Amino acid sequence: MKLQSLRYLTASGLKNVWVNKFMTLASVGTLIACMSIIGMSIILSDNVDKALGSIEKENVVMVYFNDLNSVLYGSQAEKFTGADNSSAGYVDASTITEDQYLIHNEAEARAVCDEISELDNIESVEYISKEQGLEGVLSTMNPAQAEYFTFLKDEINGNPLSDGARVTMTDLSLFSETLQKIESVEGVSSTQSHGDLAEKISAIKRGVTVAGTWIVSILIIIALVIVSNTIRVTMYNRKLEISIMKAVGATDSFIRLPFLVEGVTIGVVSALISTGVLYFVYKAVLETLKSVLSVGQVIPFADFVLRLLLLFVFIGVLSGVIGSVIMIGRYLKKEGSEFSAL
Amino acid sequence: MQTDILSTEKKASVIEFIGVSKTYENGTNALEDVNIKINKGEFVFVVGTSGAGKSTFMKLIMREEKPNTGKIYVNGFELSGLSRKKVPLLRRTMGIVFQDFRLIPNLNVFENVAFAMHIVGAGNRDIRKNVSRVLNLVGLGKKARCMPMELSGGEQQRVGLARALVNRPSIIIADEPTGNVDPNMSYEIVELLTEINNRGTTVLMVTHEHQLVRDFNKRVIMIEKGHIVADNQDGGIV
Repeated sequence: MKLQSLRYLTASGLKNVWVNKFMTLASVGTLIACMSIIGMSIILSDNVDKALGSIEKENVVMVYFNDLNSVLYGSQAEKFTGADNSSAGYVDASTITEDQYLIHNEAEARAVCDEISELDNIESVEYISKEQGLEGVLSTMNPAQAEYFTFLKDEINGNPLSDGARVTMTDLSLFSETLQKIESVEGVSSTQSHGDLAEKISAIKRGVTVAGTWIVSILIIIALVIVSNTIRVTMYNRKLEISIMKAVGATDSFIRLPFLVEGVTIGVVSALISTGVLYFVYKAVLETLKSVLSVGQVIPFADFVLRLLLLFVFIGVLSGVIGSVIMIGRYLKKEGSEFSAL
Repeated sequence: MQTDILSTEKKASVIEFIGVSKTYENGTNALEDVNIKINKGEFVFVVGTSGAGKSTFMKLIMREEKPNTGKIYVNGFELSGLSRKKVPLLRRTMGIVFQDFRLIPNLNVFENVAFAMHIVGAGNRDIRKNVSRVLNLVGLGKKARCMPMELSGGEQQRVGLARALVNRPSIIIADEPTGNVDPNMSYEIVELLTEINNRGTTVLMVTHEHQLVRDFNKRVIMIEKGHIVADNQDGGIV
């Protein structure tokens, strides 16, 4: 096709956008509605994902090391729970030899932390000494409880807690497997976690991702079908023009190109407007919810803008292409529409 | 390409039907065993009652329809074997004038005529020159900027004629060009077609207006029930 013709057809397509302003408005309106719903689904899904992600980070696994206290108070626990009633009472620390436990000092405890941090799916490992652990426990108690606990501590000659570590995971769906690996590390005595919560969060995240993908996919298909049909209606409205073009010897590509330019223009304009609409809607929603949500809890619109714009332009261009190439192609292949078009 | 081009012997005729029959999918026999030859520079009226097969005859020439049997040669193209991609090339060798004018309402007179030149990829200078030339030829040189709705029926048909002429076709196919204009204007249109014919362009005009056919004394092909029942080379209707 000559450059001259290309210029004429592009100008003709752009002119058609204005000339057929009612159909253009219908197409742009439909596309904006679909694109906005798609955008909202993406924004909502990403924010839910982020919120669940922050809950995930709170869901830590406490790992206790196999140190002197774990032998001392672990064996006491067994006695008090009735495992061995014949010798109930405190174990004398002097009767326990160093080879009966694995972690003898902080350096050994930190080495275990390093070993844990090298496992798959471990996001962070934070060493917690028994003193830090005790402070943490006391801080969660009311003064009376704290006083009683301190009394007990003094009764058993010191801090009964073991050295430990606070471990977080990257993917909670692998919680059980990762926990098993942590427990199998030499030097780990026991772990404490909320496995059921991890599984629930993981299931919700999976659900949100699957539902979001389905909703967005279905809406994209709906947008494509609606806009393609709108272009087809436009085409039927312009059968006269097409019949004249065919009668005077226009090639198929000559007939298609203005429709393609028109469809793509409608798509791109809709994409820009939809992104703008979403920006203002998102801003308004955040403004309304600012008393409930903190700034750090929501994803800023700037993080979405490029992704949404690219997706919308893609949908718009694809709708234009499908409408003008496939739908018009079908019509062009039909024989006998020059004399009998009207 | 070789098969599309007529042999040297056939080049004398611009349209030739050899044993052509056309039956539509609904079973209507539109044309049956039609044999006809139209030579370069002829002016031919095609007449017949409604449903006689005139429109099918024109559609076959434009390659809007394909014959079931027989061969059709138009301007060097053999139409029954002509691929869809080559149909635009065939149509660029002819100018079509419609009964209902078929002007694009949102384009002015100049743009409606220029439209046909854009289709063949003509340059802007050629377009300006040729469109002005044909608009002057049909007497609408001063109405180039008017919109179709601002013109009378006769003027609109002259725009249609200018559009058909602008690419200098060797054949003008006019499908009842006087059907939607008043009787005086009908004569003007046919006079214009005669003038174009005098310059060497073959003209094929379908009409119902027997008086017009009698007055202009051209070759007349009469179609009835899918058959050519008369081919009067000397003019007049049987």
